[in-house]
Amino acid sequence: MRRWFALLIPSYAQKLTLLAAVPLILAVAAIALLVALQARALAEREISTLETQLIEAKKAELRNYVTQARNGFYFIYGNAAPDDETAKQQVAQILSAMIYGDEGQFFVYDYDGTQLVSPRQTERINQDWSGQTDSEGTPVVDELIRTARDGAGYHSYLWPKPSTGQEARMITYVTSFPSWRWAVGTGVFIDDVLASVATARADVEARVQSTFVYIGAITLVALLVVFTTGMLINLRERRLADAKLKRLTQRVFDAQEEERGRVARELHDGISQILVGVRYALDNTRRRLERGDTRAAEPLNKGIDSLAQAIIEVRRISRDLRPGVLDDLGLGPAIKTLTEEFETSTGIACAFQTVVFRNRLDDEAKIALYRIAQEALTNIEKHAAATHVQISLRGHRHGGTLSIADNGRGVRSTQTAGSPGLGLRNMQERMDQLGGTLTISQGKSGGTTIEATVPLSHMLPPEDSEHSKVAAE
Amino acid sequence: MTDQIRVVIVDDHPMVAEGIQSILESYDDIHVIGTLSNGRDAIDKLEAMDPDVVLMDLNMPQMGGLTATEIMLERRPGTRILILSMHDNPEYISSALSHGAMGYLLKDVPTDEIKNAIDAVMRAERYLCTGAQGSIAPKDQGDREALTEREQTILLQLASGRSNKEVANVLDISVRTVETHRKNIKRKLGIANTAGLTRYALEHGVLQGTGVRL
Repeated sequence: MRRWFALLIPSYAQKLTLLAAVPLILAVAAIALLVALQARALAEREISTLETQLIEAKKAELRNYVTQARNGFYFIYGNAAPDDETAKQQVAQILSAMIYGDEGQFFVYDYDGTQLVSPRQTERINQDWSGQTDSEGTPVVDELIRTARDGAGYHSYLWPKPSTGQEARMITYVTSFPSWRWAVGTGVFIDDVLASVATARADVEARVQSTFVYIGAITLVALLVVFTTGMLINLRERRLADAKLKRLTQRVFDAQEEERGRVARELHDGISQILVGVRYALDNTRRRLERGDTRAAEPLNKGIDSLAQAIIEVRRISRDLRPGVLDDLGLGPAIKTLTEEFETSTGIACAFQTVVFRNRLDDEAKIALYRIAQEALTNIEKHAAATHVQISLRGHRHGGTLSIADNGRGVRSTQTAGSPGLGLRNMQERMDQLGGTLTISQGKSGGTTIEATVPLSHMLPPEDSEHSKVAAE
Repeated sequence: MTDQIRVVIVDDHPMVAEGIQSILESYDDIHVIGTLSNGRDAIDKLEAMDPDVVLMDLNMPQMGGLTATEIMLERRPGTRILILSMHDNPEYISSALSHGAMGYLLKDVPTDEIKNAIDAVMRAERYLCTGAQGSIAPKDQGDREALTEREQTILLQLASGRSNKEVANVLDISVRTVETHRKNIKRKLGIANTAGLTRYALEHGVLQGTGVRL
């Protein structure tokens, strides 16, 4: 259960991936929306243009039919009197015959609303249709007559198709034969236009939606790639870190074992032997005293001398393990001691500069910087072929810095290219541990400078000095 | 009996303290008036015991020998303090002397040397044991003289804005003692005024350490 919950809490790498993914998703969504809006607007413009053009074409066609028809029998109408029933009959007959296409026909209403001509829907003839409206409530016949009386014009309404009886939108052009009080016109169904426009709209919508789907799919793939790479990198990093940790742990163990072995040997070969000697001497003294031998002081003195030697030996071992100066007096005196010993044992001149303050670093920082100095001096002795070493320890506004500069061959010439030496890596790790920095630089005229800096957080607070604490109690 | 040297032993190792006591008591002119196990006790009982010489260990719980030496001398400037230590490192010796000790002895010297040392400091002479004498040659002319622990405490107090009087109160010492320390600090750092002390402490990072209220 716990494991399961732990999986839900994102790791640092996962957080990073999320951080990359969320803006990506948002950006893609915004782009998709924008593209859809633009595409729709563009398509809408084109479709309405097309619609208008198609309808205008139909309208022109209608007008032409009507004009043509009117002109065709103008010779009858023009010569006839308003009550010439024969002429009217003749024109009505011609108009009834002028059917075209599947649905095309001419109609005639008189101004009172009575239909006179309706070749495809003959049942309407001679009936009064005034007041007729279509299924949406648009007045039909009255409006046609009104338009005709005004001269000529268009009207649009729903009308049952003569062929199927199904209602569809139609446009009509109507004109008048004023002296006969006739409204003459013809209409055309535009449902095909509307249907093709609707199809075009549906097409656009479908395209927009498929664009959405494509963008979504591409985003998904991109995200998958990001996540998988992130996870793979994460896994790899973890594996590397694990391996590094393992190596490090092994090194710590090795170092510990080696140190223990050394101390054990020194205790056994050095101190133990001396103490055994002391024991013999004391034993000897006792035996001589028992026998009343006057030379009892001789082995006793020898024993005392040996004990002094043992004390010196213990002091040396203890100091090698961890210098008391470091804990008691601070880093400055400890490094000073180190440099003096170094100078004595190697003959390499070693100058040391320090601050007037004492013991202002915490234990971790002290020991880390001390070991770095030790390691650096060991390196200088072994590899650098230097004749002069300059060590300085200083406090500043950002923390404390230990710098070790030599005038030797420089670090690069002594390292095999690529991997830094174990010692340098140790130094680096010690500083990493403290949140500090380690820089290794090479002077122009050769020589190496190692600078280790610990941050202010490793400086002890002023109030914490042993003194004020005790005194304030 | 009146001309006996009154000695106090301050050491947290009973075996060592007893050993020294029994050796010193074999001398007629030495009277061991007490053995104490840490620096704080020694300071508290200093006036009551009124010793001529204090034999002081360095590493002790509660308060170490260096700190104790300095505070004892603030309270009773005439006290002769001999450091008795296991450490043969010259840094300890110079620190001991800079904190006001009159002498430095290694614990593993031949025992009659302890008597010699006590006699020497009674004659107001500095005494360094045979092993230590060579290693004390002054090497650091280039460096500024390090502050003693007390001076450092007082510097940090002054630098964080306390007055002489406040410092005196906090550390339970007289204002004159603070003045003296202050003068020594200014001399060691070559700084003339308090603002300079604050700046110096800031620039060396010792004021801004963890938990500072700046």
